[in-house]
Amino acid sequence: MDALIQNIINALQWGSFYALIALGYTLVYGVLLLINFAHGDIFMVGAYIAYFAAVFLLGGHGEGLGLPPLLVFGLTVPISMILTAGVGVTLERIAYRPLRRKGAHRLYVVITALMCGLVLENGNLALFGASRKKFPELVDKAVYTFGNVSVTNLKIMVIVAAVLVFLFLHFIVTRTRIGMAMRAISWDRLAIPLMGVPVDTVIVFTFVLGSGMAGLAGILFAMSYPILDPYMGAIIGWKAFIAAVVGGIGDIRGAFVGGFLLGFIEIGVVAFFPSTLRDLFAFTILLVILWIKPTGIFGVARTTKI
Amino acid sequence: MSETLLEVKDLRVAYGRIEALHGVSFSVNQGEIVTLIGANGAGKTTTLTSIARLPPPEAPKVASGDILYRGESILGVPPHDVVSKLNVALVPEGRHIFGNLTVEENLTLAAYPRRKAPASEAEAAFKTVYDLFPRLAERRRQRSEQLSGGEQQMLAVGRALMSNCQFIMLDEPSMGLSPLLMQLVFKTLRQLNEEQGMTILLVEQNANMALRLAHRGYVLDTGEIIAEGSADELMDDPEVKKAYLGG
Ligand SMILES: Nc1ncnc2c1ncn2[C@@H]1O[C@H](COP(=O)(O)OP(=O)(O)O)[C@@H](O)[C@H]1O
Ligand SMILES: [Mg+2]
Repeated sequence: MDALIQNIINALQWGSFYALIALGYTLVYGVLLLINFAHGDIFMVGAYIAYFAAVFLLGGHGEGLGLPPLLVFGLTVPISMILTAGVGVTLERIAYRPLRRKGAHRLYVVITALMCGLVLENGNLALFGASRKKFPELVDKAVYTFGNVSVTNLKIMVIVAAVLVFLFLHFIVTRTRIGMAMRAISWDRLAIPLMGVPVDTVIVFTFVLGSGMAGLAGILFAMSYPILDPYMGAIIGWKAFIAAVVGGIGDIRGAFVGGFLLGFIEIGVVAFFPSTLRDLFAFTILLVILWIKPTGIFGVARTTKI
Repeated sequence: MSETLLEVKDLRVAYGRIEALHGVSFSVNQGEIVTLIGANGAGKTTTLTSIARLPPPEAPKVASGDILYRGESILGVPPHDVVSKLNVALVPEGRHIFGNLTVEENLTLAAYPRRKAPASEAEAAFKTVYDLFPRLAERRRQRSEQLSGGEQQMLAVGRALMSNCQFIMLDEPSMGLSPLLMQLVFKTLRQLNEEQGMTILLVEQNANMALRLAHRGYVLDTGEIIAEGSADELMDDPEVKKAYLGG
């Protein structure tokens, strides 16, 4: 029983990471029908931005500001989200928008996204070297134990953050005009400017949301697993992408359901089998789900997404 | 004579290398209903999407000529500003409603140009649209893809009205409607024109209906204007009669 609860908590934590990243894929796909393969690396950049912001604000060695850790945490979260959103918007501006203007085929845009991801990875490698970065401890670790179940404050924070992000995005998409435009654009791109809405504004807003949440995932991940390297976004990005597709890409509920599903499957496999079998089993199960419902859990055949 | 609102001057536009309008000129005065009639493929939709400044590939590129609105060229105006700054709305061919949004969400989104105005303004616009089309009020919470063709056309017109337009262009609003619904839509257009002074540019294949509603008209044939005049003149024109009014 205790083991079960412990596993559920771990599954929720990993599911939260997958969900926070998956929604970036899903938002951009819903609006542009573009699979933004650079998104996993945007998450990695988010973690690095958080690292540099935190190290600078914390100070030490006679450099930086020397602020108390908790305040640093409070500042680093918005800083990483904003700057990471800026990275996403920059990619949109310099890489995707010109192709869109020229009416390039989707294949070329997807390849561009893949290359952007590689540029981010290797740019990071060139700039900061291959050595791994150790993320500083910002929040004193507290462990709450109930019987044999132990939960850290960090895990709770990650799960709560994912839930809040879901509620926030759900509100945006269903209640605000720009959110309506995000849904409308996936149905009929041509009619968007006829409503007086600039298409580019909707697209930029989408990248801000998706990349901002990747930045949030970046700092939370770095705090939970404080070793950073340039390739940290690759595998987790692929997994989050697959989670988004299984959930039904284009639908934010799908990103969360897919993300948590992947979290539960992974933890569930490890509970019974050697951990080397984790990914094999996890992806086999996801494959079966797609085989049964190729549009994903929340997907519909038409591109009515988000 | 009242002020010229829209003036299209010797407009040549092309899709890629294929020219679709070969020097089209016409004008619409403030408070007028003008109709542009012509057979399938004549270039009616092309004319309207050019004025709305929609981007390629759906719309063509302007090769030469000019489009003036209130005396100023709008060739450099982006499409969303044509709606929100110039208050010119287009009800496109095929309606293009957002089927995944409810009726009310469609209308809310269409009020985007008013987002900085006081909320009471948008509420008044909702009331105008719902008074004009009570059917839409009944179905406000429904996903709009579930609406009938006629209701979708009402929604498309309603969206244009939400944008606070003073000049409305309609591309074959009667397409796919029963005669009864067609009459309802046309009656609404006359009402808008007479009661609110709305200027209307109406594109139609149904020349009969269009000429009965309009003050003036132009006949477009394969990218060229081949006849123009008051609605009465055009209705009596033997050539127009033969080609577009069924004898
Ligand atoms: N998106 C497009 N790409 C290429 N050619 C087009 C496009 N739209 C229309 N055309 C061509 O332009 C001409 C005028 O079409 P259109 O304006 O749709 O006519 P109408 O609305 O009067 O039926 C036609 O010959 C049509 O084939
Ligand atoms: Mg047409």
